[in-house]
Amino acid sequence: MGRARTEARVLSRVLRVGLALAVLGQIAWSFRPAPSNAQADLEAEGRALYEANCSTCHALDATGTVNGPSLQGVGPASVDFMLRTGRMPLANPNDQPQRGEPKFTPDQIDALIAYVASIAPGGEPIPTVDASAGDLALGAEVFLNNCAGCHGAGASGDSVGGGQIAPSLYPADATEIGEAVRVGPGVMPRFGPETIDQQELDSLAAYLLWLRDNGDEGGLQLGRVGAVAEGLVAVVVGLGILVLVLRLTGAKR
Amino acid sequence: MKRPERIAAAAFSVAIAAALALFVAYVQGSGPQAEGVLLALALGGVGVGLLVWATRLMPHIRDETQPRKKTTPATEADRESAVETVEAGVDEIKRRRFLSRLLVGAAGALGLAALIPIRSLGRSPGDSLFRTKWTSGARLVTSDGTPVTSSTLEIGSFITVFPEGHEGSSDSQAVLIRVAPDQLQLPPERGAGAPDGLVAYSKICTHAGCPLGLYLAATHELRCPCHQSTFDVLDSARPVYGPAPRPLPQLPIEIDGAGGLRATGDFTDPVGPSFWEEA
Amino acid sequence: MIVRRLVDGVDERLDGTSFIKRNLRKVFPDHWSFMLGELALYSFALLLLTGTFLSLFFVASPAETVYRGPYAPLQGREVSLAYDSVLRISFEVRAGLVMRQTHHWSALVFVAAMTAHLVRVFFTGAFRKPRELSWIIGVTLLVLGIGAGFTGYSLPDDLLSGTGLRIIYSAVLSIPVIGTWLAYLFFGGEFPSAELIPRLFVMHILLIPALIVGALSAHLALVWHQTHTQFRPQGTPEESVTGTPVWPKFALKSVGLAFMTFAVLTGLGGLVQINPIWLYGPFLPYSAPSPAQPDFYAGWLEGLLRLWPNWEFHAFGHTIGELFLPAVVVPGIIFTALALWPFIEARVTRDTAMHHDAQRPREVPVRAGVGAAGIAFFVLLMLAGSNDVLAKYLQVEVDTLNGVLKVLLFVVPVLVFAITWWICRDLRARDAAPIARPARVEFRRNAAGGFDESHDGAGPGAGPGEPVAARPADREDP
Repeated sequence: MGRARTEARVLSRVLRVGLALAVLGQIAWSFRPAPSNAQADLEAEGRALYEANCSTCHALDATGTVNGPSLQGVGPASVDFMLRTGRMPLANPNDQPQRGEPKFTPDQIDALIAYVASIAPGGEPIPTVDASAGDLALGAEVFLNNCAGCHGAGASGDSVGGGQIAPSLYPADATEIGEAVRVGPGVMPRFGPETIDQQELDSLAAYLLWLRDNGDEGGLQLGRVGAVAEGLVAVVVGLGILVLVLRLTGAKR
Repeated sequence: MKRPERIAAAAFSVAIAAALALFVAYVQGSGPQAEGVLLALALGGVGVGLLVWATRLMPHIRDETQPRKKTTPATEADRESAVETVEAGVDEIKRRRFLSRLLVGAAGALGLAALIPIRSLGRSPGDSLFRTKWTSGARLVTSDGTPVTSSTLEIGSFITVFPEGHEGSSDSQAVLIRVAPDQLQLPPERGAGAPDGLVAYSKICTHAGCPLGLYLAATHELRCPCHQSTFDVLDSARPVYGPAPRPLPQLPIEIDGAGGLRATGDFTDPVGPSFWEEA
Repeated sequence: MIVRRLVDGVDERLDGTSFIKRNLRKVFPDHWSFMLGELALYSFALLLLTGTFLSLFFVASPAETVYRGPYAPLQGREVSLAYDSVLRISFEVRAGLVMRQTHHWSALVFVAAMTAHLVRVFFTGAFRKPRELSWIIGVTLLVLGIGAGFTGYSLPDDLLSGTGLRIIYSAVLSIPVIGTWLAYLFFGGEFPSAELIPRLFVMHILLIPALIVGALSAHLALVWHQTHTQFRPQGTPEESVTGTPVWPKFALKSVGLAFMTFAVLTGLGGLVQINPIWLYGPFLPYSAPSPAQPDFYAGWLEGLLRLWPNWEFHAFGHTIGELFLPAVVVPGIIFTALALWPFIEARVTRDTAMHHDAQRPREVPVRAGVGAAGIAFFVLLMLAGSNDVLAKYLQVEVDTLNGVLKVLLFVVPVLVFAITWWICRDLRARDAAPIARPARVEFRRNAAGGFDESHDGAGPGAGPGEPVAARPADREDP
C-alpha cells in the first residue's frame, strides 16, 4: 500500500473522528448540566494529549496498529495503571514497558482516561483499594498463593521467561496493586473478584505495603532473592575475610 | 609496650567489653543485630589478640625440620609373613567346608533378615502413582473448599482447584484456566473436557514435580518456577521450552446443570515426573 | 606442678617414650593455603554448637497448629509444628535468630571452605601416594557436608524447602526398576508424607553429623600420622617436614583462627539475613515461589537440571525419566571420578612413588588444566542454576541466557584447560631456565698454585667452598 494513501486514510480518519467528536461535544455542550462541562473540557484535554503521545501506536481511534495493541475494552484501570507507573508512553514500541517516572501529571492522566473511555468504552473501572481495611495475615496468604510464583516470595521480582520480568512490587501503591490484579497488565494473568475478592485485595495491598519496610528481622536483606545472594555473600564475604586472615598470618611461600 | 603488644591488649580489652555488653544486650532483648555484632567483637577480639600474639610477639622459633615417619613395612619378608598369616587363617576356616558354607549361608540370611525393618519405612507404591483423588462427578473447589462455577473465571484468569473433600491434596492439584474458546486447539477427544474455554491441567510439573506457579496469560503458557519448563495451555499443555519431557495431564471437566464445574474422570495420564512403571 | 603430674601420668600410661613432648614439638608447615581445612573444621565446630542450641527448641513434627506468635502476617495461619517452632526460634527465643542465622551461614562457609581446601589439595598434588585415603575421606566429607546442609535446609518446613524435597523425591522416583520403591521407602510414601520431617531430623542431627565426626577424625588422624605435604624449603631432604612446632605458637595461632572464624560467622549471623522463612510462608504442596534455588553448594546440580535436554526413554512398557541422567547419573559420575582422581592420575602418569612435596600448579600443567576446567564447568552450572535471578539483574532474556550457557558449558572448560595448560608450561619453562640470575662461580688461588672453584647455591656434590680437583688444563705452568 502506498505511503501517501495510508496517510490520506489516516487523515480522513482523523477528520471523521474529529468531526464526530465535534458533533458529540456540541451535543454534550447543549444537553448536559454544568458538571459535564468540566467533563468535556477533560476529554478535550485528553484528546490533545492522546493524539500527541499515544495515537502513533494505538491509532487515533484506539483500535491499535502494528506497533501497539487496540485499547478497545481495556478500561480506565488499565490506562491509569500504564500511565501512572510511567510504563506508557514507550520511547520504542519494541521495549517491554517498565516502571518509570510518570510522563503526565495526575490531572493529565485523568484527562487521558476520560478521553480513552470516550473512544474505547467498557473495561475494568479503577478499583478502590483500602489497605487500612486489609488484614496482614490474609494478605500474606493471598500473595504467597497467587503472586509469589512470579514476583518472588519477597515481592522483589524475578524473570519469568519470554524476555519478561515480573517487576518488584515495592514501588507500587495500593491503587496500582489493585489495578494490576484486576487488569493483568502485560503477560500477567488477571484476577477477578471471584478469585481475589475486595477484602482479599485490600489485604494484599496491606501486606505489600507492610513488606516494604518490614520482615527484615534477620538484618541486611540481600534483595530478597534467596539462596543465590546468600551463597555469594557466604563465599565472597565469609570465606573471603577468612582467607584474608590466613594470608595476613600465614607464610606466603 | 611494643606496638603488637598494644594491639593484642586492645583486642583482648574489646573482647572483654563486648562480652560484658552482650549480657546487657541479652537481658534487654536488643535483637539479633546487636547480639551478632557483640558476639563477633567478643570472639574476634580474642581471635585478633591471639593471632597478633602468636605471629608478632612469640619469639621466632626457627622452623624445625623433622624426619617423616616411614610408612612402608620394613622388608619384603615382613609383608610376606603378614599375607601368610591371613591366608593360613582362611585356610583353617575353609578346612571345615560344611561348617564354613553354613556360616556363609547364615550371614546371608541374617543380611536378608536385616532388610525386613526397612520394609516398614514406607507403604507399597501399588498403583498409587497412577491415580489421584479425582473421580467422575467430583466437584472442583478452591483450596478453601469454595465450589468453582463456570462464572468464577474471566478470560485470562487461572485458579488452583481440588476435588471436593481433598482440598490441598498434593497429587490432585490442578490448575483451571479460562481462555477464549476459539483459541483452544485440543484434539477432538479432549475438547469435550474443556467446555467454554475452561481447561484444567495437573499443576505438577512433569519434570521434577514442582507446582506450576507462573501463568503467562498473554502467551497462554504455564511455566515452572523451579527449572523453567514451559507448557502451551492452548495445545494440550505440550512442553514448549525447558527440560520437561511430557505434556501436563488434562483433567476432563463439564459444566453441570447448576453451572458448577465437575470432573468427568481422572487425569488423562499419571501426574508428575516419570517413573519406571509408567509405559 | 599440675603439668608435671599430668605429663608423668600420661607418660607412664602411653608408650613411655615422651609421647607428649614428641607431639607438642610436631611441626606444621605454615603456608597460608594449608589452613583452609582448618576453616572448615572450625565452621563445623560452630555448626555443632549452634545446632545443639537450635535442636533444644525445634519440634520435628508435621502436625498442624495455628500460629499465634508475634509475626503479624502469619497470625492465625495453619502451620506445621516444625514451621511454628522455627518461627519461635526466630522471633521469641532470645538470641534464637542470631543462632539460627549463624548456623545457616556456618553451613555455607563449611562447604565453601571444604571446597577451597579440596581445590588447594588438588592443584598441589597433595593427594598423591601415600595420601589417597585422606583424599577419599575428604571427598566423602564434602558429600556428607552437602547432605547435612540439604537435610537442614529442609527442616523448617517452609515453602522453599518443600520445593527442594519435591525435586529430590522426583529424582529418586526416576531411578530405573527400584526408583518407585526407593522413593516410597525413603520418603514414607507418596510425597508429601507425614513421616518426612522426623526422618530428616534424625538424619540431620544424628546420622550425618556422626558420620562427619567419624570421617573428620580419620582425616585428622591421617594428617597427624602421615604429616603434611609441603613446599619444601631449599636444602631439606624430601623425607622431612619443616615448620612451626605445635606448642605454643602454632596452637595459639590455630585457636586464634578458630575465634576469627566464629567472629565472622556470628557477625554474618547477626547482620545479614539468611533464609527468612517467615517471608516464604508454610509449605503448601500446591504453591511454589520464585526465585527457587537451593543453597549454593547444590547450585551446580540445579543448573544441571535446568539445562539438561528433555530426553526420556521408553521401552518394553517402562520409562526412564528425564531426571535420571542429570540428577542421579551425572552427579554420581562426577563424585566417583573426584574420589578416584589420585588413582586415575597415578594410572595415567604411571607414577607409583611416594610423594611428600606439594607441587606448584605449574609443575603439572595437565592437572592444573583439568582442575581449572572443572572449576569453570561448575561455575557455569551455578550460573545456570541462578539464571532467573541473573536475567533479572542483567536485564536479559532468561531463555537466551540458557542458550548461551549451554554453548559456554562446552566451550569455556576446553578453553580454560588450554589456556591454563599453556600458562603453566610457560611458567615451568621459565623456572627451569631462569634468565635473571646466572650462576656465579668464584675461583680462588690455592696453596698448591691451582684454583678452587666456589659455587653459590647448593648444587649436588658441590657445596660452597668444596675444593674441586683442578683439572690439568687449569694448571698454570710455572
